[in-house]
Amino acid sequence: MPLTPEEIQEIREILKREPTLEELAMFEAQWSEHCSYKSSKRLLKLLPTTSKRVVIGPGRDAPAVEAFPGILVVPKIESHNHPSAVDPYNGAATGIGGVVRDILTLGAKPIALLDLLYFGEPGEPHSSWIIRGVVKGISDYGNRIGIPTVAGDVWFDKSFTKQPLVNVGCIGLARSSELLEGVVKPGDLVVIIGNPTGRDGLLGSSFASKPLAEDTDSDIGAVQIADPLTEKLLIDVIGELVKSKLVNYIKDLGGGGLTTAISEVATEFNLGVELELDKLHLRLDLTPLEILVSESQERMMLIIDPRNLGEVEKILAKYELPYSVIGAFNTTGRITARFKGRVVADVPARELAKPRSMRRPSKPPLEALRGLTPINDLPRVDPVDALLKLISSPNVASKKWIYEQYDHEVGARTVIKPGFGDAAVLKIDATDPRGIAVKGDANPRYTSLDPFNGAANSVAECYRNIIAVGAQPIAIVDELNAGNPEKPEHYWYFEMMLKGIAWMADELGIPVVGGKVSFYNEDHMGRQVKPTTTIIGVGVVEDVSKALTMEFKHYGSPVMVIGVTYTEIGGSEYLYRVFGLETGEIPRPRPSSEIRNAKYLIELVKRDLILSAHDISIGGLGVALAEMSVLGGIGVEVDLNSVLCRGCEREDEILFSETQARYIVELKPDKAQIALKLAEKMDIDARIIGYTIKEPVVRFRAHQSLIEVPLDKLSQLYYNAFEEQLG
Amino acid sequence: MPLFKVGVVVTYKRELRDPEGETIRRDLLLKTGYDRVASVRTGKYFEFYVNTNSPEEALSYIKEMCSKLRIFNPIVHVLEVVNIAEDSSN
Amino acid sequence: MPRIAVIKFPGTNCDEDVVNAFKRIGSSVEAKVVWYKEFNEKDWDAIIIPGGFSYGDWLRAGAIAARTHTMEKIRRSVEKGIPVLGICNGFQILVEAGLLPGALLPNEHGKFVCRWTRTVIENPKGPWLTLASSGEELDMPVAHGEGRFYIDYESYSLLEKESSILRYMKGYNPNGSIYDVAGITSRDGLVFGLMPHPERAVGRELVPRGFNPGGEVVFRSIEFSLKKGW
Repeated sequence: MPLTPEEIQEIREILKREPTLEELAMFEAQWSEHCSYKSSKRLLKLLPTTSKRVVIGPGRDAPAVEAFPGILVVPKIESHNHPSAVDPYNGAATGIGGVVRDILTLGAKPIALLDLLYFGEPGEPHSSWIIRGVVKGISDYGNRIGIPTVAGDVWFDKSFTKQPLVNVGCIGLARSSELLEGVVKPGDLVVIIGNPTGRDGLLGSSFASKPLAEDTDSDIGAVQIADPLTEKLLIDVIGELVKSKLVNYIKDLGGGGLTTAISEVATEFNLGVELELDKLHLRLDLTPLEILVSESQERMMLIIDPRNLGEVEKILAKYELPYSVIGAFNTTGRITARFKGRVVADVPARELAKPRSMRRPSKPPLEALRGLTPINDLPRVDPVDALLKLISSPNVASKKWIYEQYDHEVGARTVIKPGFGDAAVLKIDATDPRGIAVKGDANPRYTSLDPFNGAANSVAECYRNIIAVGAQPIAIVDELNAGNPEKPEHYWYFEMMLKGIAWMADELGIPVVGGKVSFYNEDHMGRQVKPTTTIIGVGVVEDVSKALTMEFKHYGSPVMVIGVTYTEIGGSEYLYRVFGLETGEIPRPRPSSEIRNAKYLIELVKRDLILSAHDISIGGLGVALAEMSVLGGIGVEVDLNSVLCRGCEREDEILFSETQARYIVELKPDKAQIALKLAEKMDIDARIIGYTIKEPVVRFRAHQSLIEVPLDKLSQLYYNAFEEQLG
Repeated sequence: MPLFKVGVVVTYKRELRDPEGETIRRDLLLKTGYDRVASVRTGKYFEFYVNTNSPEEALSYIKEMCSKLRIFNPIVHVLEVVNIAEDSSN
Repeated sequence: MPRIAVIKFPGTNCDEDVVNAFKRIGSSVEAKVVWYKEFNEKDWDAIIIPGGFSYGDWLRAGAIAARTHTMEKIRRSVEKGIPVLGICNGFQILVEAGLLPGALLPNEHGKFVCRWTRTVIENPKGPWLTLASSGEELDMPVAHGEGRFYIDYESYSLLEKESSILRYMKGYNPNGSIYDVAGITSRDGLVFGLMPHPERAVGRELVPRGFNPGGEVVFRSIEFSLKKGW
């Protein structure tokens, strides 16, 4: 997005002269939405960002949260939506590269990747091409850099056909004693390591800050080819540099390239810097302007004490990683860039780094009324049929085709693997019983119908998924994928989603330690994709051997529902897959029930009363039970009359309502009474609704009817539906 | 109808990097002394056997198919026809 | 104390996992990650080439690493009787370097695959399998894109007669390997290469329900062998 005339005038005032071309490019890169958050900054202040555990909050390349005494977890989320629309393979791969480098800047070791992907329907040829490219890109890159991709979220909706959402997350671990908090002093050297700089990715952030053009061929400059081998060397080199305590500060060269990296560091430490651009190692001849804003991948900036240069060079030579020393910090507060002796840019760092935040007008669009349309008089359908449709929905069916292409085992710490738990659980160390749980969640349908409550529900679902494996949530990071902020009707969704996250995070007492905003997610016709809030959550597990998976473990175990069911069919997967409707009031967020029910579940785990747990989300109780049965290969019989459902008049309301704050748990056979007593004592709505059975069926008894589906039929659909639809 | 063999190569556009080619040159060729190789570009070769009336028709058929089905991504790749011949093997 | 070199090439990523596997079985061998350029033949009693993507897996998996000086040194070590284990990419490198027969081709379904498999060891011999018994089921996960073993019939017959073969059990061949081969040893058993990851199948916690920690026997065997001979 080019600078506006007002912005250019503002630059003239800052510099008190006409800017050079190089300076204009620097401002354009740094003041792009992507780098500056100018449209979102004001609202982002609403998010709760602190807790006793938060060591580094938002602001740096990545935050740090104390998981256990002396052990920090470093979570980060990024979007690569626009690059993935034009080159799915490299777009997704380079997204992984960027988020991993952010983790490295704190001296943390990246131990897990998450991918949150929102595509068009799998059967559509263009989305199928994007799906295959994105998954292969993540697979080829994540696998090669040796970080397991352990969890995520995948959703299909036709609004994402041309413009997918590719959100990726990385989780790092660091010992408190090794955390690189970072101090930069005048005299410190600027060392750029990694790939030689090329023309690729020129002004990519500026590209991400405008709508998708119809003729994307002209956007070639924004395409970056992924180089996982160099990324892996960066990981190894930085690991060794940090251990040897040879660097003062590390920064990723990401969006905005050298300009953004250098201006943010100079501003943070109130310093200036003198750069000699011709010293940078290049892949081909570049102009100084190109050097300043190129976004070539797999590059990082080290800031080191000149006395350590020799040692640093030794390590770089060992790994044969290219590098160059291009300048040093000073006290001027200005970024001065020379090229072959000539000064090409001389700008005050602070003004460059911090454009004025903008107050964007916001207004609810008419279509938001869809979220208020009551759902009345739904025709009655065969519940078996409905269940089969839901289990074959690509949003529900197994994503084995995707996660088996990811090495989710490398690192030898993945205790709960993809497909078996509501969240992944990873050991913090080879011989330590403690672990962390991670999961990513979103529901684009909810957020498009009701952005405030939908975003709140994303936070709540992520919280539940972490609870369901027996972990205690400690922090989340968020990504807001929205439309064009210049359009008030698009901006409204962003504003409401953000407020929804802020409210729920506050209610649950979980800090939002970092996040990202991605605007301009619209197609070339100017239609925004479904505005989507993705949340990645992190939890802690004291003993990974006690972490819970969701599959039924034994015959004859009591099956319990925790939480009350309401008639909340609006915005549900049932309503869409069976009736083709995307309307209605979405399930209400219920923070106080979330907290109480979570406490109860954790208590069941502590007292060793429980074998499996699964949160109830899309598809409701019916789908959740079917999943537990299919994954365990064990049948189940429940009585729908025993489900505590307020206001329910029909079976489908009990089976498919997506009311929040609910779980299904499989209790140990003889522990039902103890569990019920505990529920009474803690004032929790929990009911035994049936038992796991030897017979391979999923059976629901209702007032007058018996709903029964053979397990092999469900399994066949659950495991194969997605791949079959992909074709 | 005659059968034509159409051989096409898909590579990254010249102006884009090719990390595979770069690695082969840097870590295999140069390190084993083959230092006269100035650059390596890699790609993927496809051989299509197509029933058409003429080589021209075979060519346009394959080109259209490759673009339409995104056998290559026109945003990052170039598709180059490297050979076309009537297949006499059957 | 026996010393085991865990060789790290650019792009190797399972080096630490292998070192940790020894820790997790409570082994007292000294296993250390050695950067490929710093490998010195004289210092080590056994060598492990771990998994990963050496040189980005470009050209062919293992092809570039197989042409390094380090592999020349490893070849000399084998000639002197030093045991060598290649896991996943390590197996690919050993095959590319000609230290084990056959070839490893892209998976039949064309995709990378990460999943748990069941394998059986037949005719275990050599230092890496001392404690394994013939017919023993060893469960381990695979994670590879180019793991489809191929060998001509004649060489296979020889292999079957003279070497140990690790075979995927029926229904568990993840890549279309010929004769369900998951791993093989040299005739004397000194060199062992396998596609599954033994270091990820150590200790109960990492093993999914219904599978056994089939990697342990490899690490226990080499410790036993180096201490007592084989």
